[in-house]
Amino acid sequence: MAPDRTPPPEVICTGLAKVFDSGTEAVQSLDLTFAAGQTTALVGPSGCGKSTVLRMIAGLETPSSGEVQIDGAPPAETLRKAGLSVAFQDPSLLPWRSVRGNIELALSLARRPIDASAIDQLIALVGLDGFGDTRPAALSGGMRQRAAIARALATKPGLLLLDEPFGAVDELTRQQLAQDLPRIWEAQGTTTVLVTHSVSEAVLLSDRVIVLSPRPAKIVADIDIALPRPRMAEMVRETAATDLIEQVFTALSDGMAAADRPLAAQ
Amino acid sequence: MTSLTVESPATGQLRGSRATPWLGILIVLAGWELAGHLLTAAFVLAAPSEVIGYLLREWQLMGRALWTTLGNAAAGFLIGNLAALLLAGVALLWPRSERIVTGLALLVFCLPLVATGPILRVFFGPGSGPQIILAALAVYYTTLIPLLVGLRAAPDSWFDLVRSYGRGRFAALIHVRAMAALPYFFTGLQIAAPAAFLGAMVGEFTGAEKGMGVLTIRALRALDVEMTWAVATVATAVAILAYVAIGSLARRVLLSDPPVILATPQSARTQRTAWWDAVLVTLLALAIWTSALWIFNLNPFFAKGPTQVFDALFIAADAAATRATLGGALSETALFLIPGYLTGLVAGAGLAIVLVLAPALSSTAMPLAIALRSVPIVTTAPLVVLLLGRGATGTITLVAIMVFFPTLVACLHGLRQTPGQVLDVFDSYAAGPVTRLIRVRIPAMLPAFFAAARMAVPASVLAITVAEWLATGSGIGSLMALSASLSDYDMLWSSVVIVSALSALGYGLVGMIERRVLATYAPEQLS
Ligand SMILES: Nc1ncnc2c1ncn2[C@@H]1O[C@H](COP(=O)(O)OP(=O)(O)OP(=O)(O)O)[C@@H](O)[C@H]1O
Ligand SMILES: [Mg+2]
Repeated sequence: MAPDRTPPPEVICTGLAKVFDSGTEAVQSLDLTFAAGQTTALVGPSGCGKSTVLRMIAGLETPSSGEVQIDGAPPAETLRKAGLSVAFQDPSLLPWRSVRGNIELALSLARRPIDASAIDQLIALVGLDGFGDTRPAALSGGMRQRAAIARALATKPGLLLLDEPFGAVDELTRQQLAQDLPRIWEAQGTTTVLVTHSVSEAVLLSDRVIVLSPRPAKIVADIDIALPRPRMAEMVRETAATDLIEQVFTALSDGMAAADRPLAAQ
Repeated sequence: MTSLTVESPATGQLRGSRATPWLGILIVLAGWELAGHLLTAAFVLAAPSEVIGYLLREWQLMGRALWTTLGNAAAGFLIGNLAALLLAGVALLWPRSERIVTGLALLVFCLPLVATGPILRVFFGPGSGPQIILAALAVYYTTLIPLLVGLRAAPDSWFDLVRSYGRGRFAALIHVRAMAALPYFFTGLQIAAPAAFLGAMVGEFTGAEKGMGVLTIRALRALDVEMTWAVATVATAVAILAYVAIGSLARRVLLSDPPVILATPQSARTQRTAWWDAVLVTLLALAIWTSALWIFNLNPFFAKGPTQVFDALFIAADAAATRATLGGALSETALFLIPGYLTGLVAGAGLAIVLVLAPALSSTAMPLAIALRSVPIVTTAPLVVLLLGRGATGTITLVAIMVFFPTLVACLHGLRQTPGQVLDVFDSYAAGPVTRLIRVRIPAMLPAFFAAARMAVPASVLAITVAEWLATGSGIGSLMALSASLSDYDMLWSSVVIVSALSALGYGLVGMIERRVLATYAPEQLS
């Protein structure tokens, strides 16, 4: 609709690896292609390197080797055009700005026009009606995360990177958000990468689920989710979905077993 | 009312209790009035009613003096805070310079105002130059330190956010760093406001024509008890008002109280780099000193350079005599300074612990302590000397009071920062209050205690030199005043160098003890 839309890009990671200065090897040679306009979920045990992958795609972390290409260019190019946004694992709202103020800041950082009614719509969509002028300190953890999602969507990015966006949200609201939010990014046509710990959420939201091994992250399974859209929260209880969920779980525990790391050691 | 429960953005620390200090103030006033009437014959204490009477009679004199001092203090406040901003900017643009900047800043902060005053007076002649500069010197360090902390206070993820929209360091500075540093800046300003008033007053002690400092000297010379008390009361009231005014301005802008910061947290640097820094700072200070004399082309009769001071101390024919005089004065000072300093520390920490064990008491005492911390104790030096005499008791008490309030506030703050969950864990083991105190609260208090102990070193040196100069006539403060009036500039500059160096060394020594103690009792507090 608006002319400031960036079309969804294709993201290609080749031989992507990260070893931190501390010596921690977080990601080991990852080859991955995120198709334009698709939603891909990354699941994997805690600490396996999911956030690190996301940060490398966003150009916030330099890979130790390998590279990320967004529509054939390095992430810096996309950053320059403010063509992506990240909902960080920790909501990172600026405490001296209200929910609305935080969204406005994102828009002005991205050099986008500020449209008050569009902001109100977004706030309502994430269920924060009436909290637009509240500062983050007076919001619950889940409310802050929803505000961060609204902020990430506000700039209408071509590439949307969500790091456990619903981690602190209660189960029912989670289902509601999982049902409503994809409509926005589908309507906007974004390439979405979603990190989540909830397998059912991964299945419900995405076109494809990538299961990662314990650290250093390697791909254990790459599962296509061919469920019809729009998807409703109830679908997670239908056989088609439960089969897929089962498949992801199996891959996760295979990954754990292969890494010879029992759950307790994580 | 939500604004009052908002956590500090950057630190998430507890906010001060909102109880008003009125009850405490009333109690103090009543006790003072009573004592005033009991001690009428002793000519040491004027009751509040007498002070008010004096102020009503002499309001024109007092008003003019106050106006002059306020003007000088405001100018110094402005200059000092601008200097702090500038230095913080340098440290921000060139992070490696930070330790050198803070080291030099500390050394300059350790200059004994009592001696810098007369030296500046010679440079500037009559007028308000020295007052303004002393006011600036009294404030820039207490603003610089919180600013440096504040500029680092924003978590990395806020900077990632700015970068994720393709923006660089400048946008991050405007939207994140500056905003996150604002509460800390206000903390600095809040402490600086009374300190500027103090600096201006000390500047006026050094032969100014008008101002509150001049009235102080006049009252002391005339042994005018009412006037002494009236001047001290007005100075105290102005200091508290300035502190409260900036605090409420901060609350309005930030919607929360400014955080409590007393000194930079100890950095994780090794002992060796610390020595190396000290050497570098000393060399730089000497270079700046020499080149300043050269650039301003000052009369060598009163403007002494490093070589002349070295000459006076070690080479000249009377060098041994100079050293003996200095040594004698310094040991006189140390005899009162060290007990006073230690008493203040122990009393401050002790009362903080008592108040935590008796929380009902602390809701009255805490606001009072915070307000009294803002009082430039030095302006009340004449009172303490009037009350307790010019001997050991008066001087030691003055130093102790100077150290006491900041220590109390810092320790209360540290004690309240004990993480609730940790106490819950101890509760679940049915640990008694004493166990909790020793195992959880005191270790949590230690960093704040040591921060206060470090900052108290230059403060107590200031207190004792002023007391010696104004009242007791002994020790290094008196020696500096005497050298100034006798135009013995070799002695004056030598004293300045030695006092600053000793203060800075004392600060470093407390820092070393701090590292040792924290490493043993609270290793998690060392970064
Ligand atoms: N800046 C850093 N410096 C050093 N090590 C880091 C850094 N960031 C992350 N790591 C390490 O890299 C590994 C992967 O971290 P990452 O945050 O990517 O995990 P994650 O999969 O997102 O975990 P979670 O699901 O718990 O969020 C961890 O072992 C972590 O300790
Ligand atoms: Mg993560």
